[in-house]
Amino acid sequence: MKTWDIYCSAIDNFGDVGVSWRLARQLAHEFELDVRLFVDDPQVLEILCPEVSPSLPIQRVAGVQVIRWGAGLEVAPAAVVIETFGCQLPDTLISAMAAREPASLWINLEYLSAESWIEDCHGLPSPQIIGPEKRFYFPGFTEKTGGLLREKALLLKRQQFTQMDRLHFLRQLGVNPSPGSVLVSIFTYENESIVSWLETLRRDERRFHLLVPTGRISKNIQRWLGVEALAHGETHSRDQLTIQAIPFVRQEDYDLLLWSCDLNLVRGEDSFVRAQWAGKPFLWHIYPQGENVHLKKLAAFLRHYLDGVGVEAAVATERFWGDWNRQNSLQESWTAWQKHWPDLERNAEQWCSQLARQPSLAESLARFAQSWYKSRAEITPPF
Amino acid sequence: MKTAQDVKVNNVVLIDGSPWLVQKAEYTKSGRNSAIMKMKLKNLLTGSTTETVYKFDDKMEQVNLDQVDVTYSYKSDDMYVFMDGEYNQYELSAEDIESVIPYIVDGMTDECKAVFFQGKVISVDLPTTIVRQIDYAEGSARGDTSGKVMKRAKLSNGTELKVADFCEVGDWIEIDTRTGDYKSRAKAPV
Repeated sequence: MKTWDIYCSAIDNFGDVGVSWRLARQLAHEFELDVRLFVDDPQVLEILCPEVSPSLPIQRVAGVQVIRWGAGLEVAPAAVVIETFGCQLPDTLISAMAAREPASLWINLEYLSAESWIEDCHGLPSPQIIGPEKRFYFPGFTEKTGGLLREKALLLKRQQFTQMDRLHFLRQLGVNPSPGSVLVSIFTYENESIVSWLETLRRDERRFHLLVPTGRISKNIQRWLGVEALAHGETHSRDQLTIQAIPFVRQEDYDLLLWSCDLNLVRGEDSFVRAQWAGKPFLWHIYPQGENVHLKKLAAFLRHYLDGVGVEAAVATERFWGDWNRQNSLQESWTAWQKHWPDLERNAEQWCSQLARQPSLAESLARFAQSWYKSRAEITPPF
Repeated sequence: MKTAQDVKVNNVVLIDGSPWLVQKAEYTKSGRNSAIMKMKLKNLLTGSTTETVYKFDDKMEQVNLDQVDVTYSYKSDDMYVFMDGEYNQYELSAEDIESVIPYIVDGMTDECKAVFFQGKVISVDLPTTIVRQIDYAEGSARGDTSGKVMKRAKLSNGTELKVADFCEVGDWIEIDTRTGDYKSRAKAPV
């Protein structure tokens, strides 16, 4: 079980590739596994890791073999095959996984959610018409789930990230925050409610410095500023508010950006998880779904996240996060939320420590595969 | 061939050549407008049960089963006995008819369907709508006749459900057996 294949289809944005790439690197580095990452759109991966050349069909980067996944690709499957987020594996590959000796362990790595049903479904078999034994694997926030992606040294690195390191990193990005200003990173989906927030920030008593990597929220901000584009390094000031466009940073550097800021606006799955490891207050723009399903998922996370917070701070957080995700005005809810800043900072750090007591997703996956192969040698499972 | 989201309770699916009865099927939205189906399956050959999970669009091979009209007759030890028009009796365990048990009451006359696989009865389906009598109901809020305000009630066999606030002990009500929900007040069966 030393060989692992991870299949990833880039549906939209960076989440699928981001999670797959992070998992692949961690499995290769920390567990000394031979990992191949099959990705159908290496251009997305190049943005997260500039060493990747999208024109190459096969390349080795950061200890991982990156393979362009397209029609007709035929490879001998690994001992463990992970399909991320329900991407569809070709029948020929599935048959080859079953024919392999011993057959591959087939894992469907699902989306992250804090809902309680995750615990009931985590690790369950999914017997298919063709193919070897398949299991569903759910990342999550409790011990009954697969955990979250977290590199072994991540929190130590964060601890050792000094004020000098911060200033050096920010300078590399061309950022020179004025002393005492609140530094904010913004990586969210489009959202009209940012207009009300920017209006509120410009009139705040404190100074705010917003860092905006190229992304989907840029257009909302451009409209508010009345500019055609946000060029990298360009700074726009409106009263107490400074907005600065920064380049899209590589995956490893995104952690440094989160650690450097006082508040982080994040989205989807990967940046959402990294913001939690940063131990700083954050706002989550959850992936919008039909029938407002995402709002239930948002509430489920907040139930966990706000467990150790005072009632008023919890209510203010629910309201602020809710207003952002419903695209309501943020004027009142932001004002109420930031009053609880000390509570929010304390909670962010406590939550990070609590999560860090669980095994990481890569670790639990490696253990799962190991025990599955071991049990397979001893007993015949029902499927 | 069906997709997992189209597989319903009491369907039988073939897995590795064995027939598996779907005892529970729960549809849940996962991420990015995708969904999963969690199922409890019972192997009709060995009687073993297992929980499984599928992507909503996973393909599943369904088996069509023979059905016979039956009515509930009596309970003997742990077995529920149903009878067809020719007085043939069919015994089923509580596990076989897990979804039906909440609605089994002595003297019920509902026309049910006994489901067979390779000549062996494996489950029973109830009609979509059944009529049952309320044995206990919470007090009513004064004057509400809209049917929108609900309260807790029990059937004579102890099954709990929510009924319209104006329903009282002794009233007969219609129940949707697919969801277990109260539908309306009804006349007493003749």
